[in-house]
Parts: sequence; C-alpha cells; structure tokens
Amino acid sequence: MKTSVKLAIPALLALAACRLGAAQAPQKIIPYPYVQEDLPNGLRLVTVTTDFPNIVAVYIVVQTGSRNEVEPGHTGFAHLFEHLMFRGTEKFPAAQYNETLARIGAASNAFTTDDYTCYYTVFSKEDLPTVLEMEADRFRNLKYAEPEFKTEALAVLGEYNKNSSSPFSKLDETLRDTAFTTSTYKHTTMGFLKDVQDMPNQYEYSLKFFDRYYRPEYTTILVVGDARSKAVRQLADKYWGDWKRGSYRPEIPSEPPQDAPRTVHVDWPGPTLPIVTIAFKSPAYNDANRECAALDALAYLAFSPASDLYQKLVVEEQKADAIFGGAEDHVDASLFQITARVKKPGDMDYVRDQILAAIRVFQDRPVDVARLQAVKKHLRYSAALRMNASDAIAGSLASYVALKRTPETMDRIYEQYAQLTPDDVMKAAAKYLVESSRTIVTLTAGGAQ
Amino acid sequence: MKFFALLLLTSSLAAAQMRVMAKPGKSPLVTFRIVFTTGAATDPTDKPGLAYLTAQMLAGSGTKEMTYRQVVDTLFPMAASVSAQVDKEMSTFSGATHVDNLDEYYKLLHDMLLDPGWRPEDFQRVKDDAINAIRVGLRSNDEELGKEVLYQNICQGTPYGQYNGGTISSLESIKLDDVKSFYHSHYSQSNLILGVAGGYPAAFLERMKKDFRALPQGAGFHPRAQAPKLIENTRAIIVEKDTRSVAFSFGFPISLTRRNPDYTAMLLVSTYFGLHRMSSGVLYQEMREKRGLNYGDYSYIEYFPRGMFRMEPDPNLARRFQIFQIWIRPVEPPTAKFALRLALYELDKLIKDGISEEAFERTRDFLGKYVNVLTRTRSADLGYSIDGLFYDRLYYVDMVKSELAKLTREQVNSAIHRYLRTNRMVIVAVSRDGEALRRQLSSDDPSPMTYNSPKPEAILREDKTVEKWPLNLPADSIAVVPAEKVFQ
Repeated sequence: MKTSVKLAIPALLALAACRLGAAQAPQKIIPYPYVQEDLPNGLRLVTVTTDFPNIVAVYIVVQTGSRNEVEPGHTGFAHLFEHLMFRGTEKFPAAQYNETLARIGAASNAFTTDDYTCYYTVFSKEDLPTVLEMEADRFRNLKYAEPEFKTEALAVLGEYNKNSSSPFSKLDETLRDTAFTTSTYKHTTMGFLKDVQDMPNQYEYSLKFFDRYYRPEYTTILVVGDARSKAVRQLADKYWGDWKRGSYRPEIPSEPPQDAPRTVHVDWPGPTLPIVTIAFKSPAYNDANRECAALDALAYLAFSPASDLYQKLVVEEQKADAIFGGAEDHVDASLFQITARVKKPGDMDYVRDQILAAIRVFQDRPVDVARLQAVKKHLRYSAALRMNASDAIAGSLASYVALKRTPETMDRIYEQYAQLTPDDVMKAAAKYLVESSRTIVTLTAGGAQ
Repeated sequence: MKFFALLLLTSSLAAAQMRVMAKPGKSPLVTFRIVFTTGAATDPTDKPGLAYLTAQMLAGSGTKEMTYRQVVDTLFPMAASVSAQVDKEMSTFSGATHVDNLDEYYKLLHDMLLDPGWRPEDFQRVKDDAINAIRVGLRSNDEELGKEVLYQNICQGTPYGQYNGGTISSLESIKLDDVKSFYHSHYSQSNLILGVAGGYPAAFLERMKKDFRALPQGAGFHPRAQAPKLIENTRAIIVEKDTRSVAFSFGFPISLTRRNPDYTAMLLVSTYFGLHRMSSGVLYQEMREKRGLNYGDYSYIEYFPRGMFRMEPDPNLARRFQIFQIWIRPVEPPTAKFALRLALYELDKLIKDGISEEAFERTRDFLGKYVNVLTRTRSADLGYSIDGLFYDRLYYVDMVKSELAKLTREQVNSAIHRYLRTNRMVIVAVSRDGEALRRQLSSDDPSPMTYNSPKPEAILREDKTVEKWPLNLPADSIAVVPAEKVFQ
C-alpha cells in the first residue's frame, strides 16, 4: 500500500506537466491530456481522463502480432492466442470470467493485427477495479488444458471459414505471399490455411508462445474515460505489480530489397467484379521524418474520392466502382497498395494503366499547395470526428501505442502532417512507388480474363 | 374569427407533424440523423429497391447547385460525409461535422436532401452500385446472404417481403423519374424526424426546422399493415454456391416490437440465449466454446443487418414486425447437420426449462448496464432517441431500465412460452453441393459428432440426444436455389 502511494506522486506531476503541455500547444491531436508511466516490471500504463461520463474503456495492447510468428508452421499463433486468452484461469475460470463481465454489463472483445494484439473492455466506471483485477489475472495466470486448446483451435478455423467467402480475403493472402519472400508479413494475421488446420496439434508450442510474449515489457494498458490516473495507478500496482518480466526477443527477418516487378493472377470460383491491386514496398512507420506522413497524404491526394483519378474512373467514366489506396502503419517495412474494383473485365488493363499514370503525375511535379492544405485539414478533422467516445479514443491510441509504445507518437506524426510540403509528397512518391518494388495482383471470376 | 382559428389549427398541425429530436451538448462535434419514416415497405411491388435507390441517390450525388465532384471536394477537407441507410420503415441520413464547419456542412446536407441535382450520370453510377451490391457484395457474403434470404422468405407476400436493396432486374428497370416521383411523394414533413445532437448554437435548430418546412406537408406514412404469418410446416432453403463451409440462419415471425410490454422480457431472453458477438450466450457456449463448431452463434429479436462487421446494432432500423432468428456462423460441412440439430436442441431446452433464477438475475444486471454501452456515442444516443419516437416509447435506456426493475423470472419464462417455438420455421443454409446437403437434412440418420480431443461425459451424453434430434424436413420441404438466382 505504501509503495502505491509513493509511486502515485510522479503520476500527479506527470499529469500537471501534460496539462500544461496541452495548454501551451493547443494543436495537439489527442483531445485530452494523458499520463504515461512505467511500473518497475516494465509494464506501461497510459491514463486519459475524458469528459464522457460514466464509461471507462480499458485497451490492453500486447506488441505481438503475426509479425512475431517467425517459426515455420506456426503462422496464425498470435491470433490463436487472442482466442486462448478467454479460456480462463484457476481464480477466474472461463465461465466465471464471462459471468462477471456479463454482470457488470461490459462490452469486451479482442483483435489481432500484423503487429499487435489488443484486448478491450468498455464498462461503467465503478467496475474498474474488477476489470483490472480480472485482466491482470489472465495475463499472468492463463491456464488451459490440451482438450480446450484443441476446441479453440477449431473456432479459429471457423473464423478462417467465415472470412473466406470474400474475394478480398483471397486477394490479400495472394498479395502478401507474392510481395514478400522473407518478412513475416508474407502471411496474413489468420495464418496460412495449412497452419490453421494443424493448430490443434500445437499445444506445447502455444505454451511457449504465452511464456515468450505475454510479459510486461510487451504490454501497455490504456485506461480512457471517467477515471483518474492516481486511482488507476494504484490498481495497476496492486494487480499487475508482481508480473515478471520476460527475456525472449524474437529475430524478425527483414525483407530483402525487391529488384523486379511481380505479377500474379487469381481465379475466383464465384461471381465477382474484377479486382486489381498494385502494391509497392513502403517504409516502416516513422514519426521522426516526413516520409510516412507524405505517403499518407499521397494516398488521399491520388486515390481518395476527392482525387482526380477517382473522379475520372468512378464518377465520370464509371469504369470502376471503387478505388482506394495507402499504406497502413506498420512496425516493419510493408506495402503501399492501391486497389480498384473494375466493372468490366475488358477494362482491367486500362484501369491498371490509369493508376500507374496517376502515380507518375505525383512523381513528376509537386502537388498544388491548396490541395495539400485540404488533405491536412481532412486529417485533423477526421481524427477529431473519430475520437468521439472514450472507447474510440482508446482504439485510436492503441494503434499508435502498438507502434511506438506511447500516444506521443500520434501527436508527432500529426505534427509531421502539418509540416508537409508539396516537395515531400513528390519525393516520397518517387522514392517508394517504383517499378522494381511493385507487385500487381489481379482477380477475376474464373475464366473471365 | 373562424378563419383565424382555422389558420391557427393548420399551423399547429404543421408544427406537430415534423418531429424533432434535439440533444444539445458541449461537444465540439455536431451529429445529424435525419429520418424519413418511409422505406422498403413502401416500394411498389414491381419496383423493389426504389426507396433504397432514392436514398442512395440523395446521399451520393450532386445537388442542384453542385456537381458530385464539387460535393466531394467540399466534404473532403471537413472529413465529413452523408450516408444513407434504408430499412422497411425508415430512410436515415446521418453524418457529423466539427462545429468549426457546421455552416458549410449543413448547407450541403440541406441541399442534398432538399435541392437534389437529379443528374442522369449520377443516377447511372448509383444504380450500378446498387446492382453490384447484390451481385458481388451480398452474394459473396454467405452469412448476410443467408439472413436476407431468411427475412425475404418469412415475410413473403407482405410489404416486408422484398430485400431492402431490391432485386437486380428491378433495379435495372427503375428510371430516374421513378426515383424523383418516390422522393416527391414520400419525402414530406409528416414523415420527417429531424435529429441533431452536440455543440450546435441555439439558433441553429430553428433554422433547420424552418428550412425543412420547404418539404411538402405530406399525408403521413401509412403502408398497409400486414404481419408475416407462421407457416404450417418447417421448410428449408439451401442457397448453393462454391464456398468452403455451411452458414445457417433460421427463424419465425414474432408479434413483438419495442411497443410490446413483453419486449424487455424477450430482450433478456435473447441476451441470455445468444447476444450478438458476446461469449456469454448459451448458443455460443454450447456450440463454440464447448464443441468448437464454428466462430459464434447468436439469437435476435430485432433486425440486425451487417452483423459480421458490427459489434452492436445500428439504430434507426425500427420495424412494426420482427422475427426471432438464430444465426449459426459457418461450420465445416461434415458437422453442418449436427450444428443445426444442436441449435434446435438448445432452443427446445430453453423453451422447456426456461431460465434459472441465477441466470435471470445475472442477465438482468448485465442488461441494466449494457444499455449504457449501446448508447455511448452521440450518434447512437440520438438514433435510439429517434427510435423511441417511432415506437412511441420512452428513451430506450430509461425504458429498458425501468422495465427490468419490475421484471420477474416468471414473466420471462412465460414470455419464452408465448413467443418461442421449434416448429413452423424457415431454415436457410448457404452451402456448396446443395443436393448433398438436402439429402443429409431430409434423412433421419444420426449425425454423430467426433472431436479432436477428449470431452466431458456430460457433453458426450448430450451429443447422443442431439445427433438424433428430429429436423422434420422431408425432401420436398427443402428447396435448392443457386446463389445467382437469389434477389435476381
């Protein structure tokens, strides 16, 4: 108890500093001040006190996603683990865990991406101690027997099955498998189907996976809503304080540079409109320079509904019914991809060539300043509109915490957006959207091409 | 004097007819939900999809003053949009803006709804999108496809009997003039609920009301009321397509909406038995957690489209007629028959055993808090408030909480008996090789379940009953329909 009080003092100072900071720099994108602190075991705690009443969102980010699946035959394990985390502990067996969440009226779930796994619970503020206690217990003491493991592995296959009716799932699988040779982004977060089917036989490996990655140094707890940082810290110390740090550091392979363009075609067994995806290797997320910010701006300028290309192909000529593009933020170098769904198979090559021509325009001359200004405005208002509830704020912050383990990176990248020049966009387009790093995937209804 | 009184009366009628749901607050955002109580239930029988096309045309086209490109260019810096949702009784236009941009955004929203551009090139694009939404959108989403076929089948012959998005042949035949005429006859003050929430200035609401009085007065919305009827014997439809697994949806009509005093009792039942995407439901526990049959299994007492993408229902899907529905997410083909039998067995058990005192209390406590979670965003809160107007009930949260406080286990178990059944239902499967599945489902042969791991004796014993559970589906009660013929 004494320890908790002592540790809470820096938290108060941090809160004061953040508020001052917020007052001096009103352009910050995160709409409320936050307190970030580390427990001695390496667990990071971020508390954001919002003015949305009654509700609290707890988002727990584990910096382990399909990127961490470095061993052959074990793709999809980060995601499988997301499922296993609901299998209970000795203190809170699965049924009791579920019943408690039900009794407190919480909305709770989890998701896994390439880079992280996130567990979230949204509930009424008086239940914060219960939620933090139960979450701490399962992160430290998860226990499941082999039969339960085998059953859960089947639920994962069920998830693969329900996703597989969309041609976009197949397109994504094929694109990654073609564009990457070495990076773990070669497989989707679901994993290769053969690995998903073999999961029931991998009980021992699953225990190793938990031991490696479910550790405080991989984990950040975000508490957002009607909660105060001092009280949150006390609860974190109480329930998470004696969680032991781990020692495993994976060696995640880097993708070697691509030296020639690649193409691949997918025949889809059912009816579909033709789809073309053009992807280029893009840099790892970085808030310290303007390259990632410039590529994000390029995505809006070149491929959003407000772009010339979209207006030409979707609105005027009506040859495509959807175009979208951009690079998702990733820990490692990933892909900037542009996808168009084409109305007639005969227009596939035309649409592909129009996309390539649009890219060249941005590589050859700087974009109009007013249009870049509109993108900057869009980015700021989009963030403001998105962060419209405590859980929405937590969700936005979680994606940034997954990359750099601090919400500060969100403020930093938005600062880079604010500084962007037309020249930055042109340079980024010229550097990354190059033929040698390109992969094109086309998908049509079987035999249509 | 008489003339004066008459004028007053007319004016107060006009004011009473346009309904307003205003929820001012301190937020820097302003959220809109503009609802016309008209929708797919008013589609002419030969033009299903007309209400849908009309709303999509308004939300996805130019205005009289601006081309669609100009609309997009104006919305883009604000990061704002106007989206349309069409259901049987409601066409909803929603969007949000930062208060910095309120005037500019509202001008657009106003023009889109009150001064549409009706350009033929916009119409062609919107129509193509609507056709493709069925041809390649719905038909490549096995689960949504199964659910919509279920609704269509249960409600056939009633104004709810057509898919909201229409059929491909109908959409192909609808002309721009049809859309304009639907707009002029159905978008009126008497059908309008103006919803706005957030940090708008005090005078803004009056300005909105005044502007929307430009719409014709209208005669109100009174489509013929016709509840879907129970069928005599259970029947099945297998939608055949090349797919890895088998998705099921089944159900039957229930005479229950939020207007009904049993609503909260049945909300509790459905929450206990299979709340959407929650692991606490009986179906989820029995089918996924204990037996690993699939990704999840849920039950519903209200229409819930887009369930594979949403954790919580969208508001403004208020209906006068609902069905009870069970959704079995895709299962591996060898276990399909067992999965269907298990869901029916669990439903039968629910009806026979009712809900225990412990489960009743736990679910009641859960719901009392969960309604706060459901309405936590301004847009949802506004939407639920508007639905309260439609159903002529209190605000949803207050209604559910106050009724839960009075509810007893006996009332819940009595509601289960009155509303639920295991016969006279429609079952829809989306599967490959429809004929093979038809043979399986129509046979009384047991469908024993095998597991990849040891199971407790209680589960194995229960499985012995489940594997023989009667489906009562003779071969002639099962139709096989190719996916490309559905909503054609």
